[in-house]
Amino acid sequence: MKKKSVAGTILKQLFLILWVFLCLFPLYWMVTMSLKDTNEIFGTNMVGLPTQWLWGNYANAWGSGGRVSNYMLNSVIDTFATLIGTSFLGYMSAYGLLRMRWRGQKAVFTYILMGMMIPMHAALYPLTEILMSLTKTHWALIIPYVAFNIPITILILSGFIANIPYEMEEAACIDGSGIYRTAFTIILPMMVPALITAAIFVFLQVWNELLLASLFTTDSVRTLTVGIKQMSGQYQTDYGSMGAGLVIATLPTLILYMCMSGQVQKSLIAGAVKG
Amino acid sequence: MKRVLSNKWNIMVFVLPTVLFFTYIVIFPIFKTLWYSLLNEIPAKVGDQSHVVWLDNFIKMFTPGRRNSFPGAVGNSLLYAVLSIFVQLPFSMFIALLLANGVKGESFYRNVFFIPVVISSVVVSLLWGRLYKSLLPQMFESFGWTIPKNGFLGNETTKIWFSFLPSLWQYVGYHMLLMYGALKSIPDDIIEAATVDGASGAKLAFRIQIPMIKPMLKVCLSFSLIGSFKLFDTPWVLLERSNMDLPALSMYVEMFSNHKYSYASAQAIFIVLECLVFTVLLNIVFKDRDERRLARGKGAARA
Repeated sequence: MKKKSVAGTILKQLFLILWVFLCLFPLYWMVTMSLKDTNEIFGTNMVGLPTQWLWGNYANAWGSGGRVSNYMLNSVIDTFATLIGTSFLGYMSAYGLLRMRWRGQKAVFTYILMGMMIPMHAALYPLTEILMSLTKTHWALIIPYVAFNIPITILILSGFIANIPYEMEEAACIDGSGIYRTAFTIILPMMVPALITAAIFVFLQVWNELLLASLFTTDSVRTLTVGIKQMSGQYQTDYGSMGAGLVIATLPTLILYMCMSGQVQKSLIAGAVKG
Repeated sequence: MKRVLSNKWNIMVFVLPTVLFFTYIVIFPIFKTLWYSLLNEIPAKVGDQSHVVWLDNFIKMFTPGRRNSFPGAVGNSLLYAVLSIFVQLPFSMFIALLLANGVKGESFYRNVFFIPVVISSVVVSLLWGRLYKSLLPQMFESFGWTIPKNGFLGNETTKIWFSFLPSLWQYVGYHMLLMYGALKSIPDDIIEAATVDGASGAKLAFRIQIPMIKPMLKVCLSFSLIGSFKLFDTPWVLLERSNMDLPALSMYVEMFSNHKYSYASAQAIFIVLECLVFTVLLNIVFKDRDERRLARGKGAARA
């Protein structure tokens, strides 16, 4: 049907491979950097594989000097708690807003979705007033993370919940099941794919968040993004350990992406409207 | 069943906690910021109105002066928007078209191109920062090009370009994926019919494929625009705190370094307004086009 010239095909492939190289080079560079010493990184061997594989950089970043283990734990706690919060509140309110019938439900739905248009910047100083007393705890980040990710969670859930027939509730009701049992044991299991889609989106937002994390965390609850940003200043002389810190910080998202790249892509498409 | 689903008490239990929480943490602070932006300083007593200066902060923001960097910051964010729209988006579209029209290794390429998107912007910035300090100068040297004075990020004229580059690079994959998805959802028979009519390559792309994914282009454009007004992470990490060259950075510095809370609040409100204005503009532009096309279509049908 279509004429395909050989030269055209080769040109296409060359172009795509070039972009693959440009996409992956920083990652390759990060991994090799994490295994080199500073001399190699600066000059003697910038791009090649390390002459000696210095796994000690990882031990150094993770434990004694770097405290990446601490940052990691904090990031895990904050992210996990945020996901529980957005999933629970998001599902409850999505059910109430889209499944139940009452006057003004559309207006409330729109009210919450409008929150998506508003950047966090706009709430920064008043948030400081609310959260400053909590900066020694994880709540200072979990609270705003949950609140700002509720709209997108509800939006993603709303697309799925509309496809579940009302007969499900009718049948449950006839069987004598109350509203909470219906919502949590009958409808909720059917919403799991939607909840996962929303959760992956929120996970990437929260795991990579820098602005609030840099404002509302004190030393003991520092998250990865802020932690490695500080390390980059602190480790002026030890770039290998900094590289190791970067690798450790990136691994969770990379592993998630490698295991379920299709699902991650779907989530980010679903969340694209968030701007 | 209806009784259960419209029971007021049940509805309250399901919806009210979220609405109250959301209102307290997201909506209430925004109105507070709006109020602060009209004051000359934050009063110690809530409701004290003696500090109201109305739009003075906004006027100050755009009063030309040597020490006022905000108009320049807005200009820079617009420059980023232009780069994003006229360089990043067409490039992403090119890749999306290549992939959607079928090449060997389609899904491999798609998956690899998306990798930068999932990496934290802090990591991306730190990596590029290192590249600018070690590898790039070496490359410039070996090609015999002159390295900008004070380095790529220290030089006043080049630093803005080099601080934009990492995030432009990072989000090519995102736009590519959005466009690719839309291109893939164009019904096959339309493409086939066009191919039979002799359209291929650029003609097929510009006449059929790109016009058909307009709704997704709108999403990409608004993502680009809003992203450029809010741009913060990458330049902040790359340039450290020594600058106020973008609106969000300027706001951050005024707020947390200079402690001019009300002035910074005005800048925050300006960023929000800018996002809203451009979102509305985008809607008008895309709606107008659709309507005109619809009108044209009707005219043709009648003829």
